[in-house]
Amino acid sequence: MLDRTSPPAIVLDNVHLSLGHGPSRVHILKGIDLAINKGEAVGLVGPSGSGKSTLLMTLAGLERADQGKVIIDGQDLGVLNEDGLARFRGRRIGIVFQSFHLIPTMTALENVAVPLELGGMDSAFDRARQELNSVGLGDRLSHYPGQLSGGEQQRVALARALAPDPAILIADEPTGNLDETTGGQIVDLLFKLKNERGATLVLVTHDLSLARKCDRMVRIRSGLIEADGVAA
Amino acid sequence: MNTMPLARAFTLIWRFALRDLRGGIRGFGIFIACIAIGVAAITAVAVVSRGLTDSLAREGRVILGADAAFVTLQREASDAERQWLDRQGHVTPVAYLRAMVRAEDGNSVLVEGKSVDASWPMHGKAVLSPDQPVAGLLAERDGVFGAAADPLLFARLNLKIGDIVTVGGRRFALRAELLSEPDKLAGGVGFGPRLLILEEGLRASGLLQPGSLVRWSYRITLPGTPEERAVEAVIADSKQRFPEAGWEVRSRMNASPQFSRQIDRFTQFLTLIGLTALMVGGVGVANATQGFVDRKRPDLATLKSLGATGGFVFALTLTEVLVLALAGSLIGLLIGSVIPPFLLTLFGHLLPLPLSMAIYPSELARGVAYGLLTTLAFSVWPLGRAHDVPVSGLFRDAIDQDGRLPRWRYIILTLLAVTALVALAVAFAWDRRIAMIYVASAAAAFAALRFVGLAVMDIARRLPRPKQAEARLALANIHRPGALTPSVTLSLGLGLTLLVALGLIDTNLRKALTATLPEKAPSFFFIDIPNVETGRFDAFLRTAAKDSTIDRVPMMRGRIVAIKGTPAEAYRANENAAWVLEGDRGITYSDSVPLNSRIITGEWWTDGYRGRPLVSMTRDIADGLALKVGDEITVNVLGRNITAQLASVRQVEWRTVGINFVMVFSPNTFAGAPHTHLATLSFAQAPDGAQEAKLARDVALAFPAVSSVRVRDVLQAASDLVGQITLAMRGASVVALVSSILVLAGALASGRAARIKDAVVMKTLGATRRQLFLAYLMEYGILGLITAAFGLAAGIAAAYGIITNVMRLPFAMDWTVAATSITIALLVTVILGLIGTWRILGQKPAPYLREL
Repeated sequence: MLDRTSPPAIVLDNVHLSLGHGPSRVHILKGIDLAINKGEAVGLVGPSGSGKSTLLMTLAGLERADQGKVIIDGQDLGVLNEDGLARFRGRRIGIVFQSFHLIPTMTALENVAVPLELGGMDSAFDRARQELNSVGLGDRLSHYPGQLSGGEQQRVALARALAPDPAILIADEPTGNLDETTGGQIVDLLFKLKNERGATLVLVTHDLSLARKCDRMVRIRSGLIEADGVAA
Repeated sequence: MNTMPLARAFTLIWRFALRDLRGGIRGFGIFIACIAIGVAAITAVAVVSRGLTDSLAREGRVILGADAAFVTLQREASDAERQWLDRQGHVTPVAYLRAMVRAEDGNSVLVEGKSVDASWPMHGKAVLSPDQPVAGLLAERDGVFGAAADPLLFARLNLKIGDIVTVGGRRFALRAELLSEPDKLAGGVGFGPRLLILEEGLRASGLLQPGSLVRWSYRITLPGTPEERAVEAVIADSKQRFPEAGWEVRSRMNASPQFSRQIDRFTQFLTLIGLTALMVGGVGVANATQGFVDRKRPDLATLKSLGATGGFVFALTLTEVLVLALAGSLIGLLIGSVIPPFLLTLFGHLLPLPLSMAIYPSELARGVAYGLLTTLAFSVWPLGRAHDVPVSGLFRDAIDQDGRLPRWRYIILTLLAVTALVALAVAFAWDRRIAMIYVASAAAAFAALRFVGLAVMDIARRLPRPKQAEARLALANIHRPGALTPSVTLSLGLGLTLLVALGLIDTNLRKALTATLPEKAPSFFFIDIPNVETGRFDAFLRTAAKDSTIDRVPMMRGRIVAIKGTPAEAYRANENAAWVLEGDRGITYSDSVPLNSRIITGEWWTDGYRGRPLVSMTRDIADGLALKVGDEITVNVLGRNITAQLASVRQVEWRTVGINFVMVFSPNTFAGAPHTHLATLSFAQAPDGAQEAKLARDVALAFPAVSSVRVRDVLQAASDLVGQITLAMRGASVVALVSSILVLAGALASGRAARIKDAVVMKTLGATRRQLFLAYLMEYGILGLITAAFGLAAGIAAAYGIITNVMRLPFAMDWTVAATSITIALLVTVILGLIGTWRILGQKPAPYLREL
């Protein structure tokens, strides 16, 4: 649930980011200021190449801002080294990709257990089992990704993202590779689980109807926030 | 952020690695095969070598024919020595000498004579045909002693059992063929076939003259089953009691040091060749690892997105690769352990001792260590790139290939692995200097061929585009990312380099022995010319061999017993000179500087010099023994220790075969000592075989005590031996070539998907199968030719260096070797390449286009 009394879960302060080298270097984020409250669901929308995925990666600590501050769950990402960022991500940020990115040589259960094992949790597999049960895949524990449908794979990915109980959930076009019905089911599940755990959700999408399900919609254009308001 | 405890991290990495490997080992077939082949070669060599060394140690009593042997030169044991020997245990005296055996028809052959007493052999069994007791066979019957001889002697003189031959001044009946002697190794290798007679027979022959080149071996068998300590105690006692005896002492624990050394040397060369195979295979390891990292990039990025660090990802991939390397190494061990028993059943009868093999944990462990270190050396670099797989690619669904250098820590780790590999190879080498030269040359060849690969790609990139479509495609395939060029030039190039180098060394060595040397060498050596008969002998040769040059010098056998006051066995000599201290050497005296020699330092003694004994030594040995003019050296000659001062150091032109000695003494040193002479006979124009045979026969008839050695026979025997050794080495080098082929097949397989895609697109755009075939043919042909050219160049350079610098022989190019290697390179590349692409040509575009 939205919490306006606590400090914001995500703070971006004048974030600039350029990618590439030499003449091919492109200035992508051009001074983003954004604060997202705990428990808030924010939809990032905008045309292709506007910088929304880059913004998402910056939030996840996968790209480092050239300038400005990125504070996630109270942690300034700028002070963490690469390994520190990886560990922080493993514990505090859950990511759902458009292409699921499950590890093909691991079963559904093992895929979900990965972040827990990396985080050093003893009961990783019990917890992973619970997570898979909560996404309705209790009977698919020992299936490999190749034996699952697209929707099932995305549910496994969702369970994996939520397993470490992250403060922040990031989703990049989570329904982009799914048909409309399955996509709808995944979105419902995503919001349900997010609300149950009080996580903060940042979601990139081209689908305005999906963005409207969020508490807030932020429109990005040419690396700048063009509009920021209540989704309607 | 807390880091995970190390033990927990290891467990986790291990668990993840096993999970991933459960998914299969696709793309690792070549990797495993490359490691397995290299490890198999090294292990097989190590197992055979260890088997031989162990057998030598275990069978020491049989090989030596005793617990301890005391060898004197040109003299029999003194009464005091003999009494002491008899007190220790049972003594079997055995005498070795060269002699001429003359058949009734006048033909004669040089033999390695051996006389024994009735108790021989004390250990093991002599195999005779027909089988009979040795003592009875050799005994005198009706005034004629018996003899057993190598079947070769029967064949050379066209004799049969029962025939009579003359040795010295006595007739012997050949009563049996001697098929094997248990103590053959301890006697050393000789020029001619063996003739076994009784000691009484030898004495009756008249060949035992003062100064004759006879080696007496007194073998003691201690009572019961003595421990090593008891044998050592006897030897220690002998040294204390007879410090001046100058005899060479051997124990059953060290029965044949020469053979041990030969095993070590041969093992080293074969091991280095096996290592080359591993190095060639290393390219396959690197290719497979790069392919693995490329395939795994999305998964690795996903792991990183879930909290795995770059170091974790690297450790995970490294663990997987090492598990597979271990599997490859174990397969290699298995093959390497199975090959020796198999070879033993085929060639065991050729070995001079009974060989039995066991499981040797240290040799097997070393094989695994080589396999794992090679894997580390070749995989850490590509795996290091896994550390920096960008997670951001997951958001773009495109994980770019990464051509950047890995982080410093991985470059350093790679260097450490290479260093460890080199250290292992050098540490276990018999001659570390040669091992290091080999490693340096191999590294240079590796670097050069790597450079060639990159240069070829660069040149192909810069060349103007050919107008013909096929040529354009072929050229593009040579330089595009993921091209076969680096793999082919490197791995096949290395294999070829080795093959060419060994081939050229072989042909040059053999040519030197059979063609070059005989032109410069004399036709005959005559040994054991009695001192009193030298005048008559010279006159005889001048008549019998007109237009010839006779060179005759006094000759004795002597053993260096001390250098600068230090006993020879305790003296630290350079490896190149150590052989001089082992066993006896021919020595001479002379008033003047020998032919083919020039003084480097010091001075030659004046005519009629009468002062303290002086000696002149050859430069290589004086340097190897760290001797300077003025230093003292003690030599035991005829049972007497003589200490001489080094007066000069000579440079000798050894390449011209003739009489030359490491040590030449001032004549007063041996005044009055009994000795014989050595002569060479050279012709301006080499005589044919029949003329040589006639001369040998005439000499044998006129001088029964003189032995004739035909240089032609000796060189032929040496050439045959070189042939056998190089054949084994060339056989081993084929292993490297097989690795090259595997690497090439692997590189072709990994590029297959990209090629299919190209072919399908080209077909869609109108290319015919013929055009595609031609393009591939051109590509593989060009690659094969370039590889052959550089492999040939590197091989010639290596062979040239070894032949001219190490062996100091003239180098001659053998174009057959060159043509063969070019053909092999072309065939391998084109055939393998076309096999790989044949199916591509037949692909229908539609199914692929749907997936593109």
